[in-house]
Amino acid sequence: MRRLARALFLALVGALAVLFVAAPVRADDETDALFASGAAALKEGRPQDAIVSLEALADRGVIDAVASFDRGLAYAKRVQIGAESPGDLGRAAQGFEEARELSRSPQLVDDASRALTVIRSEIARRRVHAGEPVEIDPGKSLGRTVAGLLSEDTWSGLAVVASATLSIALFLRILGRARRARISGGVAAGIATPVLALAVAMALAARHDRIHLREAVVVVENARPLDERGITIPGATRLPEGVRVEVIETSGSSSRVRFGAVEARVQSSALRELARPE
Amino acid sequence: MTSFVLPVLRGLPWIAAILAFLFLGKAASAQSPPQLQLRASATTVGVGDVFEIELSATSADTMPADAQLGGTRGFVVRGQNPAPSQTHISINGNRMDRYTLTMTWQLEAQRVGTFHVGPATVLLSGARYSVQPLTISVVPAGQAPRPRASAPALPPGMWSPFRFSPFDPWKGLLPGIDNDDPGQASTPQIPIDPKLSLEPARGQFFFLHATVDKTTAAVGEQVTYSVYAYADTGERADVDGEAGHESTAADFVKHPLLREDQDPPRVGYAIAGGRTWEVKLLRRWALFPLHTGDLTIGPMRLNVVRPQSASGPARTAETVVVHVTEPPLAGRPPGYTLGDVGHFSLTAQVSPREIEEGGAIGVHVELSGTGNMPAAITPPARAGVEWLTPEVHGELAAMGHDAWGGKRTIDYVVRLRRRGVVDLGELTLPFWDPEQRGYGVARASLGVVRVLPSAAGANASADPARETLPGLPAVRDRLEGPRGPRAHADDSPVFWIAGVGAWPLAFGAVVAGRAAGRRALAAWRNRRASPEAELRERLEAAIEACGRTDARTADAAIARALEAAALAHAGVNVRGAVAAEVIARLERAGVARASASRVAALLRECEGARFAPEAADIASARDRWVRAQGAIRGLETGG
Repeated sequence: MRRLARALFLALVGALAVLFVAAPVRADDETDALFASGAAALKEGRPQDAIVSLEALADRGVIDAVASFDRGLAYAKRVQIGAESPGDLGRAAQGFEEARELSRSPQLVDDASRALTVIRSEIARRRVHAGEPVEIDPGKSLGRTVAGLLSEDTWSGLAVVASATLSIALFLRILGRARRARISGGVAAGIATPVLALAVAMALAARHDRIHLREAVVVVENARPLDERGITIPGATRLPEGVRVEVIETSGSSSRVRFGAVEARVQSSALRELARPE
Repeated sequence: MTSFVLPVLRGLPWIAAILAFLFLGKAASAQSPPQLQLRASATTVGVGDVFEIELSATSADTMPADAQLGGTRGFVVRGQNPAPSQTHISINGNRMDRYTLTMTWQLEAQRVGTFHVGPATVLLSGARYSVQPLTISVVPAGQAPRPRASAPALPPGMWSPFRFSPFDPWKGLLPGIDNDDPGQASTPQIPIDPKLSLEPARGQFFFLHATVDKTTAAVGEQVTYSVYAYADTGERADVDGEAGHESTAADFVKHPLLREDQDPPRVGYAIAGGRTWEVKLLRRWALFPLHTGDLTIGPMRLNVVRPQSASGPARTAETVVVHVTEPPLAGRPPGYTLGDVGHFSLTAQVSPREIEEGGAIGVHVELSGTGNMPAAITPPARAGVEWLTPEVHGELAAMGHDAWGGKRTIDYVVRLRRRGVVDLGELTLPFWDPEQRGYGVARASLGVVRVLPSAAGANASADPARETLPGLPAVRDRLEGPRGPRAHADDSPVFWIAGVGAWPLAFGAVVAGRAAGRRALAAWRNRRASPEAELRERLEAAIEACGRTDARTADAAIARALEAAALAHAGVNVRGAVAAEVIARLERAGVARASASRVAALLRECEGARFAPEAADIASARDRWVRAQGAIRGLETGG
């Protein structure tokens, strides 16, 4: 009787283990299979099949720098072999931008940056031929550029050091008895105060961007700016394919985006969002 | 032999029947009298009830005409509806015609009693033929029996495929041989379709009722939306369609399954609110949801012109909400496009299979099935294979009663720029099949094409063409791996409070503490130098001096105590002042004259005793101290 109970217990534990372990394993297998088939198709010169597999991977919520890189490459290859569909260059740029954002490998980041240059050069060449403005990368704002100089954690650490330095310097300046100590404290406080302000501001900005910033890439040849009613604004500068924009808000089928100094509303279907590393 | 004879013998009755039909049919066609049948939808009706009388006249020669009902005593004719029809059958070259005129009258019973309707007549080839009148009993309003819900008999003018019998396929085609149902003519009943019945009725005389076949669907899955019109069989209602409006379905792709330029078909009869309603199908749409969410189908509205009802003229169908989701992610095939829902198949033809380099071939693709058929299929991309923009033709329509589908042909011109055997690949269309609750993939293999070298192609390939997107990096075949969420120090309030804020806080605390200590010390010092503190000191000194024997010291201490009291209680410094001035100063400070005088007198006495040449008396000094204490209390109380 006891043996039977033990057998039943073991069977139950086994069944539960299968239930909880098998599903993730199956998902991992599917991810690997899709990626392998996509990479193989890309190597064999079948970019369409590669796109199908790698897009299926993205549909399943897989966020991986290499998957994004290969997806961008698949779209680029489709353009290269003359089987281009509208928006392929934009999608390629999106894949490379995403890979650059996600990757921890400097080599992959370099490759993605190089590929982006190739893609954007082609877009620029076509725009020149069409007589359209060529600005396709207005760069980041000054604040974002400064915040991007160091990582968020570095800014945070700098803020701690500057705070401590400022406090000690003020102690010396106010409580110090020796004249030299008081002068040193004053100088140190004068330096530490702006450093602390900058470090705190940059750490907060980097944190805000990490949590709230949504960016996307334009994946149509020209995204037409719309007004609040969703009607195309006549004469407004169109957003070129492949540019990276900041998504301010999305409502209905349109999104408000910022591209350099330009702020406009465009169809959400004209954009493809960039996955964030975290 | 037996095996040959038996089937022949078994088939004899059929052969005999067919021969008899052919000969009898000829003979019958020679006879001129038509087959007449008069039926009533009810043989017992209530006063005010509207019922139908149907005359069916069938002839093999020509179409009967001019149907007349005859006597209608006790009833009022509310309407009539002729319905001519023809049937032509050809068997082995023998043609048989059948002309039927079906005339329906709507009668309203006027009074109680038993009445005869008819004899009804029709005109055929110049002669008028009649049929026996019907007897209708009219009972008081509301007492007539209700029609049986599941009565097998058909209403007047209704056709049913279930009348066909494999054992008697010619039943009803020839006059006189299909009246084998004795109860059919005598007890006509309205068949009530329970599926159409609803409670309560949604309006008086006429109302609309909207239904969908499902309230939950996937994006692209067909939702069949129907709008039925219910008309009270006892009341004729006139409806103004111009004043109403259609149903709205902005979140769906809409395809009508019913021709909307024709009279709506009657789908049956129903019971609602205790009354019998004729039900017609006004709209039947195949709706394909465009996105996820709770999508609304707005109501159809019509106006009833006559008769007027208390609820007003507007009749509005129900607003329907369909909950739309995405098909499941599990098992979704690569390349699936949201909205491709149904059941599809693909075929493809490629021709020619051999061309010269730079030439073009044709690829004819046929996509067929039911559901939300995609408008295009992405062709497989290969190096040296250029798919030009295809030509697409659709032959989509309602299939059967409630499905949308058909076929779409897509013709591609494909230019081949690379010599050799070129594998065109495979066309695929993944779709979600809602009936199977699973994904399917329609496939069509395109095969290979032999591309032969050509002079033009050789010249073209010799041209130094610009390479598109040169310098792309190599493909990577190993995933980098998941990058899980990482903790950041600045996400924690502890970091900001303890890491960044603690230092300035500590500094601030030290500075503030230091300042506070200084302020406390100063306050303490101030407190020690106050008039009250001095008074206390002077009082103690006076008490101590009076306890000793030195009278001059005691008087001096008493004078100081009085001066301190004047300063502490009246705010007046009387030190060095003469008597009158002491009084004046104290009075200006609000001290009563008596108290001021007392203080001045005591001060004078003390001065006198201190500087008197004779020896001072300690007892007198103590007496002055007692009086001085009273004066001090007087100063304290202001009196």
